Amino acid sequence: MTSTRLSHAVEPFYLPVRDEVELFSAAYEQRIPVLLKGPTGSGKTRFVEHMAWRLFGDRPDAPAEPLVTVSCHDDLTSADLVGRYLLSGEGTTWLDGPLTKAVRSGALCYLDEVVEARKDTTVILHALTDHRRMLPIERLGTTIQAHDDFLLVISYNPGYQVATKDLKPSTRQRFMAIEFDYPASDLETQIIAHEADLDETRAGQLAFLGEQLRRLGEAGVIDGPGTRLLVHVGELMVKGIAPRRACEVGLVQALSDDSDVQRAIVDVVSAIFPE
Amino acid sequence: MTVTQVQTPARHRVLVRERGVLDALEQAAAEDRARHHLALYYRALTGKVCSLIPYDGGANPWERADTEAEVWLPAQAPLDEHFAFTSGQFFQVAMTHRAMHERFGSFRLELERDELLFRRLRPADIGDPGVPALERLAGLFGHSALGVHMFATCEDIRIDAATARLFPGVAGPLRAVQHGALHDRPETSVLSPRAAAIEALIRFSLGGSKVLAPNQLAPTIEQIVAIARLLRDPASTVESSVEAALRICHLLIEQPDVGMHRTVRELRFADLDGDAEAMSPLDLATLPARMAGAEGLGPWYHHVRYRDWPGPRYVGVGEGDLSLADVLDLAARRAEGQGEVAPGPDAGDDDLLDIEGEERPPAEEKPQEGSRPDERPADSGMTLPPPTSDAPDLVWEPALHAKGRREFTYPEWDRFAGRVRPDHTLVRLLTAPANSSEHDHFEVLARYGHIVSRLVRAIERISPQSTAATRRTSTGDDLDLDATIDAMIDLRLKTEPSDHLYTDLRRPRREVAVAFAIDLSGSTALWLPPDAANPGVPIQRILDLQRDAVSLVAEALNRVGDSFGIYGFSGTGREDVRLSVVKDIEERLTPVVWRRLGSMVPDDTTRIGAVIRHLTHRLQQVDAATKILVVVTDGRPFDVDYGQKYQKEYGREAEFDYAVADTAHALAESRSRAVNPLLITVDPYGENYLAPVCDPHEYHVIGDPKDLPEALADIYLAVRRATMGRPTAAAAMPPVRRA
Repeated sequence: MTSTRLSHAVEPFYLPVRDEVELFSAAYEQRIPVLLKGPTGSGKTRFVEHMAWRLFGDRPDAPAEPLVTVSCHDDLTSADLVGRYLLSGEGTTWLDGPLTKAVRSGALCYLDEVVEARKDTTVILHALTDHRRMLPIERLGTTIQAHDDFLLVISYNPGYQVATKDLKPSTRQRFMAIEFDYPASDLETQIIAHEADLDETRAGQLAFLGEQLRRLGEAGVIDGPGTRLLVHVGELMVKGIAPRRACEVGLVQALSDDSDVQRAIVDVVSAIFPE
Repeated sequence: MTVTQVQTPARHRVLVRERGVLDALEQAAAEDRARHHLALYYRALTGKVCSLIPYDGGANPWERADTEAEVWLPAQAPLDEHFAFTSGQFFQVAMTHRAMHERFGSFRLELERDELLFRRLRPADIGDPGVPALERLAGLFGHSALGVHMFATCEDIRIDAATARLFPGVAGPLRAVQHGALHDRPETSVLSPRAAAIEALIRFSLGGSKVLAPNQLAPTIEQIVAIARLLRDPASTVESSVEAALRICHLLIEQPDVGMHRTVRELRFADLDGDAEAMSPLDLATLPARMAGAEGLGPWYHHVRYRDWPGPRYVGVGEGDLSLADVLDLAARRAEGQGEVAPGPDAGDDDLLDIEGEERPPAEEKPQEGSRPDERPADSGMTLPPPTSDAPDLVWEPALHAKGRREFTYPEWDRFAGRVRPDHTLVRLLTAPANSSEHDHFEVLARYGHIVSRLVRAIERISPQSTAATRRTSTGDDLDLDATIDAMIDLRLKTEPSDHLYTDLRRPRREVAVAFAIDLSGSTALWLPPDAANPGVPIQRILDLQRDAVSLVAEALNRVGDSFGIYGFSGTGREDVRLSVVKDIEERLTPVVWRRLGSMVPDDTTRIGAVIRHLTHRLQQVDAATKILVVVTDGRPFDVDYGQKYQKEYGREAEFDYAVADTAHALAESRSRAVNPLLITVDPYGENYLAPVCDPHEYHVIGDPKDLPEALADIYLAVRRATMGRPTAAAAMPPVRRA
C-alpha cells in the first residue's frame, strides 16, 4: 500500500494516446468514479499520477497527499482500506486507512488491480461511488461524507485476472470506464526515449520489439510486454549494457519461463538488434 | 539446428533401434522444441499460426510450397565450412523471409491499386473483379508459370530489402545466407540466353555483384537490373512487383530458351544503368499472347533454399482451391476458348548470330516435359489440393450462435479450404444424470486400488505438496496475529469478535488442473472378449474401461490435491456437440460425481475438435500453473457433418482426413494456449492416421483396451513429470505406444 506525494514542480510525464485526459477531467468535474481497464504496463498508474498533478498541482488548497495509491492483493481486507484500531498503552487508537484519508482530505484514491482484493472490500465502495459519496466505518459506528474534491479511481486488467475474479456488475456499473492499450509505436518510442533517456533509434527498436512480442501476447503464449518493461530495458542500455544482453535479462526472462518461448523471444530480439 | 519432420515416428523408431532409446528421444525432443520455437518466432512477426514441415532436397517442389498454415523448410541448413552463418541463423533468415511476405502484403495484391515507382502499364480493367487478384495476375502473363515465377522473384527482392531495413539483426545473417546461395548458382555461360538472363536476376536478388553473360545479353540484363533495383526502394509495394515482372517478362520472352552464346563477359551490376521504362503499353498488349504457355524455369533452375517456392500462396485460387498448375491450365484453356490467346512469335531468335547450332524442337515440344514446375507429377502422392490463403468462403453452412450460458461456439479447421471456419460448431453443456449409488466407483477401487496407491506415491515423490497460507480462517495451524489483535480490540470495545483467528497452512496450492474428456460415441458400447487370465472379472464394454481408467486417476488426483474435471462427449452434428459435465474443474468432489460417472452410457458421434477447444477454453479460465487435457477415445473422430461434403470432390477418405486434421489442429491450438493436450486412443490403428498429423508426444495408442487403466495412470504420471517446473512440456515426455 503506498501513498504518493506529488511534487508541485514536476509534471509526471504522460503522453495521451487518445482523449483519456479530457475524459478523466470531465469525469472529475462531475465526480464520476473512474475505472481504468488495460493490460499491465500500459500506463494506467502513470496516467493517474499525471491527472492528480493536473488537478491539484497548482492549487494552494490541494491536499498534502493528492493521490493515494493502494496496490490491491488477495489478503487486502476492508479494514486495510478503511482503518483499524491499534493497541496502545492507554487503550486503543484508531488509525485511518488510506481510503478514509483520501475521503477526508479530498484526494484521488487509486485502487490498483481492485479485483485482487477480497470481496468485502468492493462492497464498502458502493456508498462512495453513487450520489451519497459516503464512507461508512463500521468499527467507529460512523459515516464520513466525502470531501468535495475526493474521487475514487480503480483499475483492473480484464485479460490478466481470471474469470472468477471479475468485477461484479453492481460494482462495475458505478464507474466510467477508460480503456487503455499499448501506445502506438511512434508514441511508445517517444515514451521510452523520454523515460529511459535513450536515443530515438534504440527507443524505436524497443517499441518495434514490443509490437512483435505483443502478437505472442494476443495468442496467449505470454503476457505481452508493457511499456514499463521496455523502459527498463532501455534504462539498462543507457547504462552501457549491450542491447541483446539488456533484452535477455530485462525482458526475455521476465516474459516467460518456458525455454521454447524464450528462444522465440531471443530470436525476435536478435532480429531487431544486431550483435 | 535441424527441423524435425512431422511424419517421423517411423524414423524415430529406426533411430531407437540404431542409437538407443534415450538418444532418440532426446533428439526428437530437441527437434520438436526447435520447430516449436521457430513457429512462435513466425507468430511473433506475423500474428499467424503455422506448422513447420521440413523437406528433403529431392522432394517435388509442388509438394513443398507454403500454404497459409504450413511453412516448408529444408530439413537441414545448407551449411558449408566456407559459409559464415550457423544453422540457427539460416532458419531465422528463412522464417523471417516468409513472415515478411505476410507482413508486406505479397498475398494481398490489388491489381487496380496504384504504386509509386513505375509508369503504370497494367490495363485499367484487369479481368473479373470476382476472381482473386493473384489469379488475374496470371492472366496478365498469358497464364504463364514463368510470369508467376518472375513476380515471385521480384517479391523476393522487395521482401529481402525490407527485411534488412526493418530487422537490422537479421541483415547480417541474411547477407551471409545469400552469399552462400550465390555459391550454389549455376554458371550462366552454359545456359540459354533466356535462362542466363533469369539467372542474372536471381544473382542480383541475392546481392551478387556481377555475372558472366554473353555480349548480346548485356542490354537485356542491364534493363532487368534497372527494374529490379527499383524494388529495393522502401516505397515499393506488391503492385510494384507486378509492374516489374511485366517488364522483365517482356525482356525475357524476347530471348530464346535454347542454345547458348559462345562468348561471355563479366557484367558488374553496379556499372549497369539501364532504362527501367523501356516497355510500352503496346508491348504489354502483346505480352500475354507471346507468353501464353511459356514453360517455367527449366531443369537448370536451382531453388534458393531460404526462400519459399511460389505455390498456392502466390496464385490464389479459382473454383475449388486449385493449385498454380491447375489455375494456369484452366485459365489458358478458358482464354483459348475466347480467342484471346494467339500464337505469338518467339521474337528475335533468328537475329542471334552466335548461338551454337542445336536444332530447336518444334513449338509444341518446347516445354521441357517432366521438368515444368507447373506440372504435378503423377506419382507425387499429392492427392489433395493444398490449402490456399485466399480461398473463397465456400459457404454451405451458416455460422452458429450460442444461446444462454451453457452453449459455446467454436471454430473448426477446414483442411480442404485451408482455413479456419469461425463459429462452426456449437458445444452444449449438460449435467450428467446420476446413478442411485457410487457402488461402481468402489468396485473399481477394489479391483485397481494398487494403481491408485502407486500413482499417489509417484506424484507425491515428483511434486511435494506445497502449501499456501490462508489467513483469518476458523481453524488452522497458527494464530493469525492481525486477526488476534482485531479480536482483542473488539473485546475491549465490547463488540463481538470474529472467530476467524487462524492461519491455515494445510490447504494445498493448486498447481495442476486436469480435464478428462471421455468418448461416449456409439462404438464404445462394444463388448470386449472375456479376460481368460482373470475369469472373475466381468465382461466389460470399452466405455466401462474408459470410465474405470478415469475414475482411478481422478481418485489419485483427489488424494494429492490436483484439481480435475470429468466430461463425457458425444453429439449429432456440428450444431449439437454435447458435453456432459460429470465434475466441473472447480466443482467440489462429492459422492454424486462418482454416481454421475457411473451413469454414462454410449451415445452418438465423436467430434473431438470442438471438445478439445471447449475444454482448452475452460482450462484457460482456471488458475493453475500446469493445465492438462486428456481425451480418451476408442477410435477415429467421426460426426455426421464432419467433412463428408468433400467426399464427392476428394474421395471417400476426405471425410476422415477432414476430421483427423481438425482434431490435430485443435490439439495444436490447445498447446499454443499453454495447455498440455493428450489424445489417448484404444484404436489399434490409431498410429496410422494420428502419426502423420499429430505431435508424436500428444497422442498415445493403447492396443489392448484392457491396458487402459494402467496406461492412463502411466501417461498421466509421465506428463506430470514432464511438466514439472514448466507449464508446457509435453515434448519432454516419451510417447506411449502399446501394441
